[in-house]
Amino acid sequence: MQQNSIRNIVVVGGGSAGWMTAAALSKVIGTQNYSITLVESELIGTVGVGEATIPMITLYNNVLGLDEDEFVRETNATFKLGIEFVDWRRLNHSYFHPFGLYGVDMDGIGFGHHWLRWMKGGGNPDMGLFNAETEAARQRKFMRTPEQKPQTLPKINYAFQFDASLYAAYLRRYAEKRGAVRIEGQVVRVNQNAESGFIESLDLKDGRRVSGDLFVDCSGFRGLLIEETLQAGYEDWSHWLPANRAAAMPCARAGDPIPYTRATAREAGWQWRIPLQHRTGNGYVFSNAFISEEEAMQKLASRLDGAAMAEPRILKFVTGVRRKCWIKNCLAIGLSSGFLEPLESTSIHLSQVAIAKLLTVFPKNGFNPALIDKFNREMQYEYSSVKDFLIAHYCVTEREDTEFWRYCKHMDIPDSLKARIELFKTRGEVLAPPAELFKETNWFAVLYGQGIVPDDYHPVADVISDHDLKTRLARIRSGVQDRVNGMTSHQAFIDRHCAARPGEMSA
Amino acid sequence: MSQPIARVVVVGRDAAGWLSAFALQRAFGRTGLTVQVIELPSQLSAADVYAALPTLSNLHRLLGLDENEVVSACAGVYVQGQRFSSWSRSKPDFMHAYDTQGVVINHVDFIQYWVKARAEGLAVDLEDFCLGAAAAKQNRYVLSKDTTEAFSNAAHGIHLNARTYVRLLKQCALKTGVVSTVGQIASVNRSGASIQSVVLSDGQIVDGDLFIDASGVEAVLIGAMPEAPFESWRHWFGADRIMVASGKRLTPLPAFSQISAYSNGWIGLYPLQNRTGMKCVYDSSRQSDERTAEEIGLTTGMRIESEVVVAPLQSGARARPWVGNCIAIGESAVVLESLDAAYLHVIQLGLSRLIAFFPVEADALVEADAYNADIAAHVRNIRDFQIAHYKLNQRFGEPVWDRARDMNIPDSLVYKLNLFAHRGRVALYDHESFEIENWNAILIGHGLMPRTYDPLADALPRAEQIGKFKGMLHFIAEEVRTMPSLDAHLEIHAPYTGAGAK
Repeated sequence: MQQNSIRNIVVVGGGSAGWMTAAALSKVIGTQNYSITLVESELIGTVGVGEATIPMITLYNNVLGLDEDEFVRETNATFKLGIEFVDWRRLNHSYFHPFGLYGVDMDGIGFGHHWLRWMKGGGNPDMGLFNAETEAARQRKFMRTPEQKPQTLPKINYAFQFDASLYAAYLRRYAEKRGAVRIEGQVVRVNQNAESGFIESLDLKDGRRVSGDLFVDCSGFRGLLIEETLQAGYEDWSHWLPANRAAAMPCARAGDPIPYTRATAREAGWQWRIPLQHRTGNGYVFSNAFISEEEAMQKLASRLDGAAMAEPRILKFVTGVRRKCWIKNCLAIGLSSGFLEPLESTSIHLSQVAIAKLLTVFPKNGFNPALIDKFNREMQYEYSSVKDFLIAHYCVTEREDTEFWRYCKHMDIPDSLKARIELFKTRGEVLAPPAELFKETNWFAVLYGQGIVPDDYHPVADVISDHDLKTRLARIRSGVQDRVNGMTSHQAFIDRHCAARPGEMSA
Repeated sequence: MSQPIARVVVVGRDAAGWLSAFALQRAFGRTGLTVQVIELPSQLSAADVYAALPTLSNLHRLLGLDENEVVSACAGVYVQGQRFSSWSRSKPDFMHAYDTQGVVINHVDFIQYWVKARAEGLAVDLEDFCLGAAAAKQNRYVLSKDTTEAFSNAAHGIHLNARTYVRLLKQCALKTGVVSTVGQIASVNRSGASIQSVVLSDGQIVDGDLFIDASGVEAVLIGAMPEAPFESWRHWFGADRIMVASGKRLTPLPAFSQISAYSNGWIGLYPLQNRTGMKCVYDSSRQSDERTAEEIGLTTGMRIESEVVVAPLQSGARARPWVGNCIAIGESAVVLESLDAAYLHVIQLGLSRLIAFFPVEADALVEADAYNADIAAHVRNIRDFQIAHYKLNQRFGEPVWDRARDMNIPDSLVYKLNLFAHRGRVALYDHESFEIENWNAILIGHGLMPRTYDPLADALPRAEQIGKFKGMLHFIAEEVRTMPSLDAHLEIHAPYTGAGAK
């Protein structure tokens, strides 16, 4: 058996991406045969703000074997059933994009087709009646799916809204407990092999040198290794997603936290509202071509529902993706690999996807170009399909009340998205490939929520009688109600299972 | 050759008036009959609710009304039955579901085996073997399907917002060809028992071959007819007043009416899709209206959210609802308590009998006697059903209820109660509106436990009987589990979208 040539892994950057990487590596490959070193500098701030996630985070947490209640407690988290989009289609309109499914597929076709038939025949246009997460969110209720057999009621799909810096700190404790080593220091020089260009070591400001076989760049948007050293190049998507700034600002909690994130469309972008246990995260994602930083900060500060707890902070970004996320012995995870605005809470997920893919193709004897290619192709695909989904929120709208929205409504969009929207208009489906993160039901929620009512639906939906259709729908609706009636309030659930201790309150 | 009936004049208001006109027009309009309504001012308040038995759907079918559309328009609710609460101080609530209990085994009624099993220590209530009752208690809507039809006859009563229902009936009736005039009756031109015409307060004279009095307790026509005296039932029904109000919508919607006894009468809650109808039937000589309104809140735990409307109540019946060419439909003929959803049922009875006995010739109304006998028998049986609630009450130490328990009841009911108390068998008379299962439900519910049972029940081995009982309970539990909630059923099949919709 050949000697494993890759033994020393160096992670650069200690934000949530860095510690997610270190924690997963320390758990899966361990530190008995490997050394896992994370270099971070306390001088360099992290982007950590109130962060919302999607249900896939549970896959990651489960790999680590985290106790969910402990994780929630430690990160000041709340539960999240979906996102409410306010003023996106038009002013004074709102819709909910839930985790989880609408109804159940019947007769081999999606529920949406059956629902469209009913709705077009005079049924209630509120599709949320058939989704447990939406109903629970409206009633601010929550619980986990109880163990029950047979499972006749809809499953409850959820994610979390947490303090990203507490998440990073929690994972740091986890990783360090498993032998990962943290080095405090600022990288001043990256040493590459003269012939191969592989990164061999990092020089720190204090003179120390950290060498490694595999480097993970979690240095954030600048891409210290992947871009500044290896010059991966960046594909700029800001003509489709023009926002390039975010102003972030926490405020005091206004009542019990709601079990969902709110995204409110604003004059030159949108504002997030992420309720944590003890405070609320807020931010204004905007384009400085349409509003000044100064004005955006003022607007944000005037639109909080609790007392501000800090001055607004400005984050700058360019939406897009690194042309290659893995070059030679270095791969990028987190913002160093690309940036998509957190409209659908995909940031943490894209890091975790990269980590999972890294583990799948983890190198043993040197670096196999085929596996690196696979990694790069798949990461491009992840970013690109999320990008299309995000653009759909902007371009499908009735809003033309500001220059920003006029631009979004009329901008040229990717052909892949154009085709999808057209298909949805014609027959109520986008036929999203199974590998994509956002499924048929996500597209349905957003495209319908943004204002597209499909002209038609799948012919199979016309097969059953009107009475049978209604009877089935009533049964599904009943299941949703029964599920939600069995839930407790979100706050009561937190109090009972996972309330953060006052000492762990974040600032 | 005698003249056929060509012209019917309905002098009436509200459900009785419009159901009469609409039903007669639907049934006989094609034969050339014309129906004219003299519409009297409504006596309904915004809070009024009509509660109907499942049989109302037969009338709706005759009228060509889609019941889901009616329910949807009237913020209506389908109910599986009525829950009786506090009619005994010691016994739990019981459900009078519109459904059978258990199944016949070897040609012997289920209740016989149940009485026997109870005597042997069975703890399960009779209503636990009733699919409709189980569904009602879990606020489910029973869908009839092949698997349930062999076991159950579950049917739905309905609650309707009264004013909306009347408006709907009026619209439909007018669309069908009914002619209507708003007015008041100034005088009636009559020779003997035959009305020639009615004179309205504006001087208009309306003549006809047949006159329907659907004016309610006012009895504008029948009240003046010979040989139609009103016989009071006050000695059986002590209440003399009815209070109507409205409360918030209940969520989840209960799939039943709630009928709660209290010290001075009873209080009904009738869920609708946008509110809850409240009714209190009470003895005003013992309690003020103010105190009664408080009692509604105390008994139901719900606040009154509407104005409170009070009306006198005088239970009783006219000796002959059809005299000469005048036929009384609804409360002009019979005033029953609102218990057991009797109000619309009495109207329906009158109309279905009238259609069946509709006179062939305008000047020889030989059908009247048959009609009167038929209605009298039906009404007597419903009255007995209502008296049974009072007679069997177990609220000791309260004058209203002690008196009811001690009162003399009609012989027809004495016989029924005696036979049932002896061996769990309901003696059904001709013209019963309520079937054996309905009597079973209320008699057992009120605590009239039969002393013995049909000896044929002993032929079934004990183990086999236990197996069958378990099988039924399992079947019911499984069925109820797959039923939609009442809320969901209404949201999809008959959603109310008007004012105050959820």
